[in-house]
Amino acid sequence: MLPVNQSAVIQLIPANQYTFEQLADIYNQTRIDYIVPMPMNATRLAEYVETYDVSLEHSLVAKLANGEMLGVIMLGVRAKRVWITRLGVIPNNRRLGIGKALFNGALEQAQKLSINFCTLEVIKNNIPAHQMFLKFGFREVGELLVLRRSPLLTKNISLPANIQSFDKPQALAYLNHHPVVQAWTNQYESFLNSHEVAGFYATLEDGSRGWMAYQRQKFLLSRFVFHTEAGDPTKVALALLTHLHQQYPRLDTHVENIHSNNPHLPAFYEVGYIEAFRRIEMWHGEFTG
Amino acid sequence: MPKILLIEDIPDNVELIHRALSQTGFEISYADDAETGMAMALKTMPDLILLDLGLPDYDGQTLASWLRQEERLSKTKIVVMSAWPEEAVRQVVESYQCDGYIMKPIVKLSAFISQVRSYLEK
Repeated sequence: MLPVNQSAVIQLIPANQYTFEQLADIYNQTRIDYIVPMPMNATRLAEYVETYDVSLEHSLVAKLANGEMLGVIMLGVRAKRVWITRLGVIPNNRRLGIGKALFNGALEQAQKLSINFCTLEVIKNNIPAHQMFLKFGFREVGELLVLRRSPLLTKNISLPANIQSFDKPQALAYLNHHPVVQAWTNQYESFLNSHEVAGFYATLEDGSRGWMAYQRQKFLLSRFVFHTEAGDPTKVALALLTHLHQQYPRLDTHVENIHSNNPHLPAFYEVGYIEAFRRIEMWHGEFTG
Repeated sequence: MPKILLIEDIPDNVELIHRALSQTGFEISYADDAETGMAMALKTMPDLILLDLGLPDYDGQTLASWLRQEERLSKTKIVVMSAWPEEAVRQVVESYQCDGYIMKPIVKLSAFISQVRSYLEK
């Protein structure tokens, strides 16, 4: 593919004019040279759109008049907030302003929706993207960790605790009143839109108590949110995580977007989680809840 | 004839690896996502699986965990292929009990074939 001529006119087309197969293909092409490309097939992309309230009507594909695809950006839309995600430009067409055009287009879509609060995450050390977001007025609000735990680990840790299971409605009730603003992927709506959501409530001998919500897919545990109501967060998380992994010993675990200052984090490392990579969370505007 | 299953979603990489390995007399099969890869592994019972970490349904780590927990594949060697930083790849190999790794991009086909042979002989 030849690079785009600087003078060529970039067209921004609503993503709902494309099939999931086409969108997955464009997205995968934009990531083909990434160190961690995280490709998606059409099924995964459709799930992603549903889970994260991505509005394809307000998401954009960049192309030339001759039909050549250049890049994509997606916009998640929830009450009073939007989330910019899946921004990517096909390698040969980078550094020509296409990313900026897509980003600007997405912000215009947010304006059309009269939403002033916008969030995004950028992989730490993706300097060009990070710089561009800063230039657009986004600010860093924290670091998010992506963690993995292999089910092949044999760590025998347990903490005496009374553990009660709960189902999705109870998980949603807890999440709805969670005092901490979660990253988009772990917000109430993401759980609401997900299947196989459940949780555990732990009460420890020293009086510490709290809960976790999670998603169990066919081969994978994911999407964790913790809250300690009283006592030591590390102990609460340790009791909950050990119980979870005893319940599902054969499942791999992939946890995204845990804040680096999350008080439950030490428990993850204690039960064998490793850090895969970090993202920087960035906001534009003020969160009004 | 050694059987190799390649699980990789990028067509250019599939073509390159297939071209390299087909000169060696290995029997090669191929899958482009994790679920197909698992099904193919159980069907073909390969001697070695070349596993890309970035797959479009479940990722390579999750697939490695299924493969390693499948008793019928206990003798199958799993070799991860990735462009991730080498230390991160090593960590994956250790955590998911794989047999080794080959770094991407594949630059010299002869070196790649030697690596595959050495894993088969281990």
